[in-house]
Amino acid sequence: MMSPALVLLALITLVPFFSIIWMSFNDVSLMGGLSMTFSGLDNWQRVFTDPDIRASWLISLVYFLATVGLEMLIGTVMALLVYSLRRGSNIIISLLLIPMFIAPVIVGLLGRFMLDPSHGLYAWILNETGLFDGNILGSVGSAMAAVILMDVWEWTPLVALIVLAGLTSVPEDTLEAAEMDGANYRQKLLYIILPSISNILLVALLIRAMDAIRFFAIIFITTNGGPADSTKIIPIRLYDIAFRFFDLGYAAAVGITMLVFSILVANAFTKLLKRRENAS
Amino acid sequence: MTPAKRWLPFTLKIALLTLLLLWTLVPILWMVLSSFKPNSIITANTPRLLFTPTLEHYATLFSGGNSLWPYLTNSLLIAGTSTLIAVVLGCMAGFGLSRIRIKGKQHLAFWIISTRMAPIAAVIVPLYLLFRYLYLLDTHIGLIVAYLSFNLPFAIWLMTAFFDDLPPDLEEAAMIDGATKFQAFRLVVLPLMTPGLVTTAILCFIFAWNDYAFAQTFSGPGTQTIPIAAAQLLTQTGIDWGKLLAIGTIVVCPMAIAGLLVKRWLVKGLTLGAVK
Repeated sequence: MMSPALVLLALITLVPFFSIIWMSFNDVSLMGGLSMTFSGLDNWQRVFTDPDIRASWLISLVYFLATVGLEMLIGTVMALLVYSLRRGSNIIISLLLIPMFIAPVIVGLLGRFMLDPSHGLYAWILNETGLFDGNILGSVGSAMAAVILMDVWEWTPLVALIVLAGLTSVPEDTLEAAEMDGANYRQKLLYIILPSISNILLVALLIRAMDAIRFFAIIFITTNGGPADSTKIIPIRLYDIAFRFFDLGYAAAVGITMLVFSILVANAFTKLLKRRENAS
Repeated sequence: MTPAKRWLPFTLKIALLTLLLLWTLVPILWMVLSSFKPNSIITANTPRLLFTPTLEHYATLFSGGNSLWPYLTNSLLIAGTSTLIAVVLGCMAGFGLSRIRIKGKQHLAFWIISTRMAPIAAVIVPLYLLFRYLYLLDTHIGLIVAYLSFNLPFAIWLMTAFFDDLPPDLEEAAMIDGATKFQAFRLVVLPLMTPGLVTTAILCFIFAWNDYAFAQTFSGPGTQTIPIAAAQLLTQTGIDWGKLLAIGTIVVCPMAIAGLLVKRWLVKGLTLGAVK
C-alpha cells in the first residue's frame, strides 16, 4: 500500500535533489535555449567568498533570532494567559489563531496597507503619537523591524497553540501540592510548569525554525529585500540570483547550503520524536 | 479554577489579553471593513470608521475584462487536485508505514520529513529547470506536482501519526472474522480515520491555496492563482486598494473558517504529529 506514494515521492523529490547537486557544478544558461557547461567548483567557491551571500546569511540570522525568539516568548505568554482563563478560552484561542491561516502574500499586503505612509492605519497612529513619521517600509531599520513583526504576527499563534496543548498535560496535583507548600506563581512556573512543557517548547521551536527558512513571501511582497538590501534574507537573495540574474548554477549551490540547514532541523526533529517514543 | 492557575492580577491579565487580541485582529478587521469602503475613503489621510458601505470592489472583481474568475478556478483546481492526490496516497502509505515493522524505518521517516522541511527557495531552482525540460511551465500539472512536493510528504507523515493512534487490534479482529486485509481497512479502519483525513485534507488545501513562491515562478498567463492576482495588483503604480482588500478578504475568510473547523486536531497536524 505504501509503494504508490513512495514511488511518486521519490520521483518528485529525489530527481530535483540530484538535479540541484548536478546544477551546482555547472554553469547553467537559459539564454538561447537551455545549456549546461561543467564548471567544477566555481559556484561553490563563490558561495563561500561572495560578500553578498555572507551579508544575507547575517541578515537571515538576525531575522531568524528575532522572529523565532519573539514568537516563542509572546506565544508562551499568550498560551499561559489563555490557559488561566476560567471560561471563554475556546473562543479566544480561536480568534487568536486566525493569522496563521492567512496566505503570506496577504500578510505582506496587510503590512503594506497598515503601514502605508499616506493612509495606513498603523502609520497614522505612529505619526499622530509622534513615535515614527517616516516611510516605515522604505527606511533601513524600520523596514527590518516591520517584516519581523509581520512574521511574528502570523506565526505567534502557532506557538501559542502548541504550548497550550502542552499546558494541559502539566500535572495538576503537583501544582496543588506546591501551592499548599506555599510556592508562588513564579516558583511554580520555573520549577513545575516550564520543565514539564520543555519538550513541547522544543517541538514549537523546531517547527518554527524549519518554517523560518522555508517561507519568504512576506518579504518578497513588501520590501523584496530592500531598502539597500537591509531585509535581503538568504531565500530572497537566492531567488534574485536564480530568476533576476538567471544564474541557476550558482543559485543551486546557495540552495544546497540552505538544504543543509533544514536537514539539520529535520534530524533534530526525528531524534526528539524518537526520544519521546522511548520515554512513553 | 485551581489556585495554581492564578498568577496575575485579574485586571492586568485582561489588559494583556485585550492587547494581544487587538494586535491579532485589528489588521484583519480593518482589511475586511475597508474592502467595503469607496477608494476615496480608503486613501483619505485620516482613518474613517463611519462610511456608506459599497460592494463596488467585489463587483469589479467579478466582472469585466481582467476578472478574478480564472484565478479563482486555477486556485481551486490546482490546490484541490494536489490535495486529493496527497490525501489518497498519503492515507494508503500512512496505514502501511504505521503497521509495518522493518529495519531502517527510521531512515524512511527521516527522508519523508526532510522533504517536507526543504526550503521552498531551494526546491524551486531544480524544479524550474526540470519543468522547462518537460514543458511543464505554465501548466496546471506543473503546479500540482510542485505542491505535491510538500503536500505528499506532509500527508504521509500526518496520516502515519493518525494511524499510530489506532490500535491494530481492530483490523486484526475483523480479519479473524474473515475480512480480507483490504476489507478490514475499508470497513473498519477508514471510518475511524475521518478526523485524520479531514484535517490532512484541509491543511494540504490551505498550504497549496496560500502558496505564492511556486506560483510566481512556475505559472503563466493561463495558470495564475489568486495570490498572484494580489501580487500583480500590489506591484502596480497607483495601487487599487479597494480591489486588493477585496481579494485579500476572499483569500483569507474561507481558509480561516476551514482551519478553525479542525481546531481540535490542528496541533497534531501542524506539529506533524509530534504533539497530540
